[in-house]
Amino acid sequence: MESTDALLTARLAAGDDHALAEVFDLLGPAVYGAALHVLGEWAAAQDVVQDVFVELWSRPSRYDPAAGSLRAYLTMMARHRAVDMVRSELRRIARQERNQRLTPQPEFPSPGEEVAAAEAAGVVREAVRLLPDSQRQVVELAYFGGLSYREVARAAGIPEGTAKSRLRIALAKLESVLEPQLLELS
Amino acid sequence: MTGSEPGGVTPPAGLRRRVVAASRRARPAGRVIPEIPRISPAEAFGRAADAFYALLCALNEPDWRLHVLRDLDVQGLAGHLTGVEDDVQRALRGDPVQADHVTSTQPAADRQAGRPTAATRADWRRAADRTLEMVRGADVDAEVTVWGIPLPLRSVLVARAFELWTHENDIRRVAGLRASVPDASTLRLMTELATGMLPIAALLTGLQGPINLRLVLTGPGGGTWDVAIGGDAPEPASIAIVTDVVDFCRLAANRANPDDLDLYVTGDRDRAPAVLAATSALALD
Repeated sequence: MESTDALLTARLAAGDDHALAEVFDLLGPAVYGAALHVLGEWAAAQDVVQDVFVELWSRPSRYDPAAGSLRAYLTMMARHRAVDMVRSELRRIARQERNQRLTPQPEFPSPGEEVAAAEAAGVVREAVRLLPDSQRQVVELAYFGGLSYREVARAAGIPEGTAKSRLRIALAKLESVLEPQLLELS
Repeated sequence: MTGSEPGGVTPPAGLRRRVVAASRRARPAGRVIPEIPRISPAEAFGRAADAFYALLCALNEPDWRLHVLRDLDVQGLAGHLTGVEDDVQRALRGDPVQADHVTSTQPAADRQAGRPTAATRADWRRAADRTLEMVRGADVDAEVTVWGIPLPLRSVLVARAFELWTHENDIRRVAGLRASVPDASTLRLMTELATGMLPIAALLTGLQGPINLRLVLTGPGGGTWDVAIGGDAPEPASIAIVTDVVDFCRLAANRANPDDLDLYVTGDRDRAPAVLAATSALALD
């Protein structure tokens, strides 16, 4: 018969869902790899893979076998969608930061509040100091350095997904240690 | 995480099922893309009749003497088809012809010898128009018995479209003309008829079942069918056959051999030739 890609596409157009499963088995790893390479996070990469295959199944005629391989078509689509996802996340962070800048700051605290705040800050810094190095680094960059997830990841030289997970773990630890101490101070 | 794209990264367990499920929600399995406009069986027959008539009008006088099939030249074949319309009309009137399709129409074919070809052509057109007139507004689910075969009227009309297309191409072949392909809507009805009849054809040819057949016909007018062919064996065989929709129709019309087809077969490949042979078992010449 015709080339594998043309045949698979013709089967998809004919409504053969077995062909879709075959394309996934054949090209799923390449598509997942392409998405993961851009996003660095497995959950988001899986969303991209789903989008790419749903698009192929819904509009198989958009792929033209004469223009290139199905593998190239799908991995390119995965990269584009992953980049779109990153851009959308960046826009969201920028919007969030802009909103924070535009929000009026609270009035100056009283001397008493300043003393309490300084004590609380000391307790927090001590708790952070006790965290493992890898977790302390991301907390310091994010909360004392004011960096976004993406900037933390870049500064620490780790994937964004790893930065997020380290922060989540560190915050959970801090929460469990700090809550009773801060209650005593208040 | 560092998936180098060329080699790829093994997707997590469960992603395949999630992707296939999401895809099926977006477009149910079996739905053809692009979607084909549905037409009525009478419309399909009318279109096939127009195409056949256009060919008769385009033939040169010597073409009418070309041998086509059995002992029929083009003029005899047109007479045979006039006889077919007469038989169908009798069946519609509730006076079914019991003789087989060739025997009952042979006198109409023989009567054409020596007649002006324009008269043969006009007779056939009138006969086809009479059939169309009789089925206008008729219940297409009503059973009609032609040549001893009871079928719903919708199937009779689609079978007639199938026969006209087949004979149109018989004439095109002997006249050295390029083969024609029905429009996608007509082809879709033809493939639905052929795939729907496959279990009966399998029974008639003694095909050993049970077989779970996935038939994928590619190209406009094609589609995907899961056909259960009955039988006594405890475990059904599984076969998937992919081929071009027009080639499949030529096979069903007994105008192609399975060996002529460009096929992609998976599953129990050894059973595929018997399934394909059964496909042409119900063809009427």
